Amino acid sequence: MRGEDGRRASVPVEAALLAAIAIIVIPIAWGTMLAFQPNRAIVNPDWDFSMWLGNFESLFAPGEPFLNQLLNSVLITVGTVVLCLVIGSAAGYALSKLNPPRWITLPALVLAAFIPMVPPMTLVPGMYLQMGALGLLNTIGGLVLLNTVLNLPFAALLMKSYFDGVPDELREAALVDGASEVRAFFRVVLPIVRPGMAAVAIFTAIMAWNEFLIGLTMTAGGRTAPLTVGIASLVQPYEVTWGQMAAAGAVAAVPIIVLAIIANRQIVAGLTTGAVKG
Amino acid sequence: MTSAPVAASAAVLKDGRRRRPHGRLTAIVAILPFALFIAFFAAFPLIEVFRLSISRTSIVDGAFVSALSGADNYVRVLADPRAWNSLRVTLVFIVAAVVGTIILGLILALLVNRSVWLLGVARNILIWPAVIAPVVVSLMWLLLFSPTVGGVNKVFRTLGIGQQQWLNTETGALVVAILVDVWHWTPVVFLFLYTALQAISHDIIEAARIDGADERQILRHVILPLLTPAIAAAALIRLVQSVKAFDEIFLLTKGGPNDATMLASLHIRNMFFDRLDFGYAAALSIIVVLTVLVAVALYTIARRRVRGKS
Repeated sequence: MRGEDGRRASVPVEAALLAAIAIIVIPIAWGTMLAFQPNRAIVNPDWDFSMWLGNFESLFAPGEPFLNQLLNSVLITVGTVVLCLVIGSAAGYALSKLNPPRWITLPALVLAAFIPMVPPMTLVPGMYLQMGALGLLNTIGGLVLLNTVLNLPFAALLMKSYFDGVPDELREAALVDGASEVRAFFRVVLPIVRPGMAAVAIFTAIMAWNEFLIGLTMTAGGRTAPLTVGIASLVQPYEVTWGQMAAAGAVAAVPIIVLAIIANRQIVAGLTTGAVKG
Repeated sequence: MTSAPVAASAAVLKDGRRRRPHGRLTAIVAILPFALFIAFFAAFPLIEVFRLSISRTSIVDGAFVSALSGADNYVRVLADPRAWNSLRVTLVFIVAAVVGTIILGLILALLVNRSVWLLGVARNILIWPAVIAPVVVSLMWLLLFSPTVGGVNKVFRTLGIGQQQWLNTETGALVVAILVDVWHWTPVVFLFLYTALQAISHDIIEAARIDGADERQILRHVILPLLTPAIAAAALIRLVQSVKAFDEIFLLTKGGPNDATMLASLHIRNMFFDRLDFGYAAALSIIVVLTVLVAVALYTIARRRVRGKS
């Protein structure tokens, strides 16, 4: 078997890569395995394995906030993806094809470049006051709006780069044929950039699903918090329920890893563009 | 070759007078939600942070009440050793995390580029850490490094090595925090550099090989110089990213022991939400924002200079 440039496989290279893969997989596998262990086995200093679903049962038991938090995270993710797709596509299209007036784009782009550059924590004090004034603290709506702010610059940028790949002649031909701007956008241009929309959707979904800081600071915890904050709140000073923590972590991480396996291409597109956003 | 289509499309635009005002309106309608959203939810908090930073603010009957206090908060921050400590910890964390991810990301990119058997598997698995929630990442490492229940100590016990207490020591906790960050974000650097590596033409490498260069010389004199712009870009991305680190440390060490891992972001959160010292938190926020902006600007200028020279 030969590589892309026709070279033979080198055993040291493959061995080093195997070690790197192990370093990535072992912590994930260990955490997932502990999700199926009773606390007794986890705190036992010796090796002690069993197969037990009790951690999940107690996490999802009635009266526990975990199911609410899971639902919150789903709603926040869906809301953020929809807003980022709608606003981001429109903005990306305008920036790429419509040549909007600079007095709108310049301040918006300066701010949009600024948001990804500074630590979100530095904006939190101001956001907290703003959400308080709007009555949006402890609400899903507030978390959707703030998650959208953090992801919108990236969404618009990525959509613009996909719209840039669509030839101008296509839109102009549609307009010459008598289509309205709106029709040309929805019927001609938008279907071509579907891969871009998929990349934006998948990547913003991951970012919103994983978001912690905004959820931590804009909610009082408990049933109003997203999943990530729920996981962190399981780390109690007096009684740490390691098994439940691992189970909650698995619930948060496994869907994302499955997504990473099946939607690898879109995630790579998002990470290389989105890294600029961080 | 390209001038003809450009001229043609310009002509279409020029005589499309009837369409133009209409197109202008469409452009404004399409960009407006974005502009308004950003303005309202980014500019407003930013102004609020600045206002908090120059005010004395307290909560009276559940509402924030502020009175202007000039530079008081800034003076208090700059006189506080804990603020300086948080900035120092942040700096150490950033430098170590950026250097660590760049070196490992580069090595991984070179390995995957040369790999045959594991190519497909590695390209998929190597991005996993970057998509897992930071909170879950730190949870996973807590389950390994915890002095009481961690998997590392089970291995040490089996091997007959003494139990580690790294998370309970100042240096150990900082090192573990950096390791976790490196594990989490090396994939981003890897992807970036791997993409750049793929863009290098095989002909150049082949030409060097025909000229008698061995693998090491090709790496040193052909591949690395061609990768330098990508490495510089990745370093900037990582710089910005590591200033933002919060989630991982919040769960892993909570800033301890003895503030050894108290990043600026953590210190801001504690001062705002635990101590309710809103002015202090806002002033430190502004100081961090300005430092980041200056650092990014300097880095960009330096990169332009270097590029201009070569």
